[in-house]
Amino acid sequence: MFKKFSAEEVSAQNQVKASVQRKIRQSIADEYPGLEPVLDDLLPKKSPLIVAKCQNHLNLVLVNNVPLFFNIRDGPYMPTLRLLHQYPNIMKKLQVDRGAIKFVLSGANIMCPGLTSPGGSLDEEVGAETPVAIMAEGKQHALAIGFTKMSAKDIKAINKGIGVDNMHYLNDGLWKMERLE
Amino acid sequence: MAEKPQPVRVLYCSICSLPAEYCEFGPDFEKCKPWLIKNAPELYPDLLKEANEKEAEKVSGQLQLFGLSSGGADGATSGQTSSSKQEEVKRLPGGKIKKKERQEVVIEKVVRNKRKCITIVKGLDLFGVKLSDASKKLGKKFATGASVVKGPTEKEQIDVQGDISYDIVEFITDTWPAVISLSIFFSFSCVLHKWCIWKTLKEDFVPLF
Repeated sequence: MFKKFSAEEVSAQNQVKASVQRKIRQSIADEYPGLEPVLDDLLPKKSPLIVAKCQNHLNLVLVNNVPLFFNIRDGPYMPTLRLLHQYPNIMKKLQVDRGAIKFVLSGANIMCPGLTSPGGSLDEEVGAETPVAIMAEGKQHALAIGFTKMSAKDIKAINKGIGVDNMHYLNDGLWKMERLE
Repeated sequence: MAEKPQPVRVLYCSICSLPAEYCEFGPDFEKCKPWLIKNAPELYPDLLKEANEKEAEKVSGQLQLFGLSSGGADGATSGQTSSSKQEEVKRLPGGKIKKKERQEVVIEKVVRNKRKCITIVKGLDLFGVKLSDASKKLGKKFATGASVVKGPTEKEQIDVQGDISYDIVEFITDTWPAVISLSIFFSFSCVLHKWCIWKTLKEDFVPLF
């Protein structure tokens, strides 16, 4: 999704109303309960919250020009990888095997066999259509953020085709955009 | 949830910006190697071995006065960073390599309504000039409207109202010394407009270069 993403795709940046800000906070807090204690540090109530609208119904949540979260249409908010690296335990994790890393890092969606093979691992509780962190065999940090297409049980049972959509991965356009002016 | 979880500090490679452990999958592992050896040797034990062997071969006499390994690694990393900086500009998000653009400023004059002009300045950004600042300065200097506009090929350019081609060259070279007058070009794609006094302009300006 962010494969070819750059500041040019940002069509409008707005400081959002307090009520919208509250709503965003609320939905982030609901989605990632692990983030709640630090949410005040991440999204300080004082400093303005800016939402950048981009092409393809994409929204970026910025604080101090740093992108922290993104969402599509009215979908769930997902943290950027830099944020996820800081707080790795806020999301459910799926792990792919080593062979898949190369493909994921060039933007491929995550296929079921990569998750079910010996190198991969699955969190059984993951349902369909939830944001997940994609970890890799033998690596400490997440390499991508995905949005599951089917539940973990289905991934195991079907073991074919796309299991997780790749939303945001290392070295894609959003990763390179550390700051947005 | 009493105490706050501390943010994890992740070691990012200064060359490819990925977390150090993903360098091997990054765009240019070879370039990251010296940095990795210096900053994260424990991640790639093989690398260190390899490098040590190389160094042992390479270093015979002269480097012994200095700290052997550190001196060698230092020199290598600094060399790498500077070269990678230059190349960073060329890379597109897709990882493809962009053709190096020629650094030149193109000044264009477009006539509208037969008697009103717009002067378009292209390519200032290639010199590291901030376009929004530049347009403000231009507007102030020439007392006209100046704006940053997206050009036809997704390039940003500055549109200045009015015909200011007569002394924009001086202004540009004065304000941004990085831009040499040799790299400023005029383009008269609007020859079809009779009102364009391009002939006189040409005579005036050609001696400049």
